[in-house]
Amino acid sequence: MASDLSGKIKALFKEIKMHWNTPAEGKYVPYKEYKDILIAVGSNYTGAKTLEYIVFAASCFLIMYHYKLPYLTFSIISIINMPLGYIWTLISWLVSDNLGRLEKKTERRIIALYISLIVVGLAMIIGNVAALFDPASRFVTYMNSLEGISCASAFKILGTHLLYTGWVGARAIFWKKKLIPKFGRYKYSLYSDFLPKCIMVVLIGWLPFYKIPDVVTRVWVANLLFACYNLFGFENQLEICTRNISPNVRERILVRSYPIKLSHIFHSILAILLPVIIGMLRYKWEDINVYRYVIPITFVTAAVLTMVFAGRVQERIPQPPLEKKVQIHFWDGMFGVMRNKYKWMLTVVNLLDSLGNGMLPFVTILYLYTFRLSGLLYSLIVALVSFAGTPPDLLAPYFLKRFTYKQLMIFYQLSRAIGNSIIVLSLLFLGDRLILCGTICVVTLFFLEMCKTVPATASYDMEVRINDYQMYLSGERLENFSGVFGWFTGPITSFVGLIIPLLLLKFGFNSNWDVLFIDDSRIKIIVIPIIIDIIGYLLMTIPYLFWDYDDAKQSKVMAVLRRREEVTGNELLSEQMQTDPEPDTQPVNAEVPS
Amino acid sequence: MKKEEKRVKRPKVDPIQAPPPEIPEDEIWTYRIEGLQEPHIGGRYKHSASKKVLVVAALLVAIGLSIFLSVRAIHKDTFQYKELQDGSYELVKFSNPGDIHEMTIDCVDGDAAKPVTVLHEYMLNCDDQLQTVRIGASVTQIDGKSFYSCWNLQAIFVDENNPNYCDLDGVLYTKDLSEILCYPIDRDLYLREKAGIENELFVGDPDYSDDYVQKVQTYALPQQTKRIGMLAFNYSDLVRVELPHGLESIETMAFFRCVNLREITTRNGDSVYASLPECLTFIGSDAFSYDQALTYMYIPEKVAEIGHHAFWDTVYKDGGNIAGLSEICVQADEASFKKNVRTGDQWRGEYDHMLFKKAVPVRYGAQREGIK
Repeated sequence: MASDLSGKIKALFKEIKMHWNTPAEGKYVPYKEYKDILIAVGSNYTGAKTLEYIVFAASCFLIMYHYKLPYLTFSIISIINMPLGYIWTLISWLVSDNLGRLEKKTERRIIALYISLIVVGLAMIIGNVAALFDPASRFVTYMNSLEGISCASAFKILGTHLLYTGWVGARAIFWKKKLIPKFGRYKYSLYSDFLPKCIMVVLIGWLPFYKIPDVVTRVWVANLLFACYNLFGFENQLEICTRNISPNVRERILVRSYPIKLSHIFHSILAILLPVIIGMLRYKWEDINVYRYVIPITFVTAAVLTMVFAGRVQERIPQPPLEKKVQIHFWDGMFGVMRNKYKWMLTVVNLLDSLGNGMLPFVTILYLYTFRLSGLLYSLIVALVSFAGTPPDLLAPYFLKRFTYKQLMIFYQLSRAIGNSIIVLSLLFLGDRLILCGTICVVTLFFLEMCKTVPATASYDMEVRINDYQMYLSGERLENFSGVFGWFTGPITSFVGLIIPLLLLKFGFNSNWDVLFIDDSRIKIIVIPIIIDIIGYLLMTIPYLFWDYDDAKQSKVMAVLRRREEVTGNELLSEQMQTDPEPDTQPVNAEVPS
Repeated sequence: MKKEEKRVKRPKVDPIQAPPPEIPEDEIWTYRIEGLQEPHIGGRYKHSASKKVLVVAALLVAIGLSIFLSVRAIHKDTFQYKELQDGSYELVKFSNPGDIHEMTIDCVDGDAAKPVTVLHEYMLNCDDQLQTVRIGASVTQIDGKSFYSCWNLQAIFVDENNPNYCDLDGVLYTKDLSEILCYPIDRDLYLREKAGIENELFVGDPDYSDDYVQKVQTYALPQQTKRIGMLAFNYSDLVRVELPHGLESIETMAFFRCVNLREITTRNGDSVYASLPECLTFIGSDAFSYDQALTYMYIPEKVAEIGHHAFWDTVYKDGGNIAGLSEICVQADEASFKKNVRTGDQWRGEYDHMLFKKAVPVRYGAQREGIK
């Protein structure tokens, strides 16, 4: 037995050594790249997670303790930006799914629109548009009655939205055209956004706008500040890139289960250290130095590491060369995604999942307000719970081979329903016995985390597979046009998503989080949304009963994509040979098939 | 026979390893996989015009509904009432349009036939404009959380004909003064104006004096009061509180985040002694949480229950030294305290100690200190 095991280990080492620089047959990723993924994704993930402490939402300590913005204001701002947002989104889908390579005429029009938006946005921020209206009019009176908003500030908020849209849109076209050919479609944005994002992260803690006494001014200034901050992203692009690291679906799972999973250890360590460091500050999480020193130092370190290793992680989608890329016109994109039945099924799942929208971070509330955890103990419990998912995740390749996606997802939804029911019951019936109630909750969370990771891996993988399938259907992945499903379900999600905040408001949750120290209010604030969530989990099992996209279909889809890549690649090569028998530079744009 | 056939295991073929289909070069964009839809790349869609109209119409309806529902969801009337079974009304929520600094709660829209009798919990939650609230004679039921987080509230005045409630110079009590319900958060501003003091003063200011504390930051409860209601003094700027000897109960979060509260004394007739009253039996959860200015706490023998986190975060490390409420003095001896007093989890303050937290010690059988 022991010799068998040692033999396997030796064989593994031999395999790694042999394919360190060149991948094994049928595989695409050399083991050296596994090492690079480990560091690159680890630091990118850590950086992105660190940024979760800085968001323009009620869940952010900077917003709630320093800016003190009313809870409902976030909903009001999103409504102000909502109508025009739909139009800008359509344009951004077209740009993104064409990887920034639009027909000249279309590109000129879009750029002109974006520049106009910047000009109008700036004018609205600087000027006072509200002065054009009669102060006694119903419109002005209504706007002034909104929480944290006045008529004048609403126009400034709208101006901020226009400025943001114009700037982001124009930047996106410029950088996509420039960087995608070099770095691929997923990680290019890291190169364009790294430096400005670092600067903004530092600035956001130091700019003293939270000292503005008037709440209405504070709201629009904070909105503008966060719009500038959000101009530059630092999402976990490298992990998204690694989801497409190989056309071999089993290899994708291996990469996801080992180097990617291990890479998250950087963040786990940070999740232990950060609360300890913050716990040493005078006012702990409420201390502004969290945003002046702790977050910026952590983020910049992670971001620099990310950039050092980002170049070594490759995306390997079987796709035609950019010069032969399928040109997606607007209706091709719309109809293309709507033909994909699996996207419809996932839309139904997401719709049911939205039953929990607007819910407060329940686990954080449990730790900070029910059990008053802080410092090392808090870090240890958080680490323990998040570690629970690691062992099953390492076995994900086995589970994914043994069970179908359908089985895994139904199990996942049922486990969530049962686990959350246990938590609700313990909060309701043992709420005053904190230690016992806490122990039950933490143990349940531990098991929930264990049950979560394999379905999550299956889900990530299925998302990529469905995009592969979309590429087979439409010639492009249409990841952005897929957003249209969200529009169809918008009325229901926005309705449901606003019911919970209003319920929370009724139970006393507003801009003052201290209400969570009141036992009966806290229990209502936590329990009612979880019950709604449980109903959602049970209903979510139904769409999965009809899921039929399996390994055999995926395998054939990949074969078609590889064949397309091969044929279009050869076509391009022969075209180049005809125009320039000895090309010494990059190939010029060939006619884009449409 | 059939069973035996079934038992014979067929060799499993890994679908991923299956050989790829043969796809001719000219069919790469049209090749259809069995069981999946046919690709559609380039080219026109059938009935595209009608499909486009349908999609646009569906999207317009969806977007319109989204916006409508979102706007409806945040729309708030200034006053939200709920009609009760007896024909009277409950004021459920007041949403300040931004310019109301004073409000009177007596009837719905000035209609005397629609009296307001009940004030709902959190009806003024997080209002930062209201300064004065006048409660009419009809109001007979006020929830302890009704005035929660009403940041700029300076005074609550109650109609003298109200059968259940009254006020003592802007502080809300039950009619018989047995319970204090709300000491407005910004009452110090009201007292400053009354005393003719223009600016708020802080420790270290040259004009900050005991006289200032006495006029603005001191409050003495009447001798009839037996109960300090839930959240009654939360967030107040008080430095000194004088409790009545007959006080029996300090409810949940009664002195929550009174960060300047340094001195608690009790008056018994003409004499005054330090800390909590002898008659006290109940201390609610989070009753004194975050009151880091407190340095002395004496729990008398009659106390039978102390809620969880009652003295949470009243102690802290200041440059290596333990500051705040670094010790809790208890009149009872250890055995009788543990036997007779029901204590909630983490009722004592805790401070950072070697990466973990350590609860402050309890001194059992302690003698009450004299007033400093």
